[in-house]
Amino acid sequence: MKLYQIVLKDIMRRKRRVLYAALGVVIGTMTVVGVLTIAFAGENRIYGQLEKYGANLTIIPAISRIDTKVGNLSLGTLSIGENYISESYLPKIREIADGEIRTALNIKDNEPISIIAPKLYVNAEVRGISLVVTGIQSQDELSIKTWWQVREGEFLKTDNQAVVGALTAELLKLKVGDGIPLNKSVLVVSGILEETGSSEDYQVMVPLATLQKAYNKEGLISSVEIRALCNACPVELIALALNQNIPGIKALAVKQIANTEMDLVQKVNRLMLSLAGITLVIGVFGVVNTMMTSVHERTRDIGIMRAVGASRWQIIQVFMYEALVIGVIGGVLGYLAGTLLAYGIGPLIFESASISYIPQFIPLSLGIAVAVAAVATVYPALRATRIRIAEAFRSL
Amino acid sequence: MLEIKNASKIYGEGSAQVVALNNVSLEAGKGGFISIMGPSGSGKSTLLSIIGGLERLSSGEVFLDGMRIDNLSEDAFVNIRRGKISYVFQQYYLLPSLTALENVTLPLTFERHSGHSERALELLKRVGLERRIHHKPGELSGGEQQRVAIARALVTAPSLILADEPTGNMDKKTGDEIMSLFNDLNQEGHTIIMVTHNPEIARHTREIVVLQDGQIVERIRCEGRGNQL
Repeated sequence: MKLYQIVLKDIMRRKRRVLYAALGVVIGTMTVVGVLTIAFAGENRIYGQLEKYGANLTIIPAISRIDTKVGNLSLGTLSIGENYISESYLPKIREIADGEIRTALNIKDNEPISIIAPKLYVNAEVRGISLVVTGIQSQDELSIKTWWQVREGEFLKTDNQAVVGALTAELLKLKVGDGIPLNKSVLVVSGILEETGSSEDYQVMVPLATLQKAYNKEGLISSVEIRALCNACPVELIALALNQNIPGIKALAVKQIANTEMDLVQKVNRLMLSLAGITLVIGVFGVVNTMMTSVHERTRDIGIMRAVGASRWQIIQVFMYEALVIGVIGGVLGYLAGTLLAYGIGPLIFESASISYIPQFIPLSLGIAVAVAAVATVYPALRATRIRIAEAFRSL
Repeated sequence: MLEIKNASKIYGEGSAQVVALNNVSLEAGKGGFISIMGPSGSGKSTLLSIIGGLERLSSGEVFLDGMRIDNLSEDAFVNIRRGKISYVFQQYYLLPSLTALENVTLPLTFERHSGHSERALELLKRVGLERRIHHKPGELSGGEQQRVAIARALVTAPSLILADEPTGNMDKKTGDEIMSLFNDLNQEGHTIIMVTHNPEIARHTREIVVLQDGQIVERIRCEGRGNQL
């Protein structure tokens, strides 16, 4: 028979007391796991929002007059001058962007990492109304504008098709199959987009090469959007490298916008975590209390163990084994309760955040719980070693 | 093997002082079987506690097998309890969550002799409980529990067994059974010192030491055991 077996048998006899002690641990770990799960969901939501900005980087010609604020915003007031970026820079842009990401994340293979979507804006007049026609590379553009949905028809399949923004279609009364005259050629409307609430609603999207050809702008593009495909990608570094190495362009990192919100979320997270820390400390006191009661109740048993040859260290071990059991029970229950807590109050803190349980927090929860139980048991265990056999038996 | 020299124990201070033991000297040879008798407050339990290291002497010395033990630290006395001295108590003091066999094995567990349950089993047979080894204390009668406690006291093969009113909670028949068990153990060579207030019990032993007001007032040898005092 081993010492821990004696402890386990004794715990089985005092299930309720042990569960009560575990409750103190549960409350602490529950709060930590709950807060972390909510924080995780909150950050994910912001990364999700980041993705809705589409690109992480926008490259425009280096002139001050172009009023392209960020990505796809306020393109309605875009002034198209004779300033373009040469398409021949695209391989170099990819090289720099992917190179920075590989260095930052220590990636070895040479697969393309970022999505690079060049586009050309042309002011055109269709059915008597002036609007912006955007030349895009359809697959790359769709990879960035993941929220685009075709309401009618289909997305660009061939060179002579066009996709029309929702409001443009309404304004020009365009339907799938209608023709759009574009300089010398005529394109067929292949699809109409759902309203997105941004500038695409007012645009006509056509294949880049087709637009370049129609307006004699072969090899020219107005802007490039880059999506780095990872939340941790060093977009500021990429922007810096692009600005330093490619003349005549201006690269802007979009992440800066989201960073402000992320900062706020991280501050809230830190606040919540420190509250969880306080709960842990309160939990420690709860466990100390229960363990002291337990020491008192087991004075006789401790006296018996001492009388038959237990050393003080073995008495400490008895209590530490019990702390381990309390910690494991508390850790498992704390994880479950914390996850439930997150599902319960998470949506109240981060609206529309989708909470999901995080299995990686199980070892974390167990670790915290065992540590809390162990710390809380030190003092009661030391008190137990001071029980003298004679006193133990006299007190009965 | 046990020698007590000029042992005194004083509780409290000043006017509240109580002298529990007053200059007591006593020796017990190997194979001895001594009962300590006396009225309540005579100091008999204090004497046993001092031999067993449960109480500290105010003055005097205690030697066991030539080694002074009254001045040992609490931690050093652990080794005395692992093989030199065992206790048997009136209240049995078994762990309620363990079976009879586990209770008897308990001292070996603390000595880290984890595989020695055969010896515990042997001892439970010796005290006549081979059919009750998997019962917990709550399922055993008082006499049975005391047999378990005696087996537990024997498992470390101690030089000296100290028993504090071991039959105090028992009817006469059960008490006699326990005493005859002690007698057998003594015949087998175990040294036993027992506190009792019951002369019927004391007459089973080889020597009776009578205490009064913390002093030994009489020592009676009962060579023909089983006779009246």
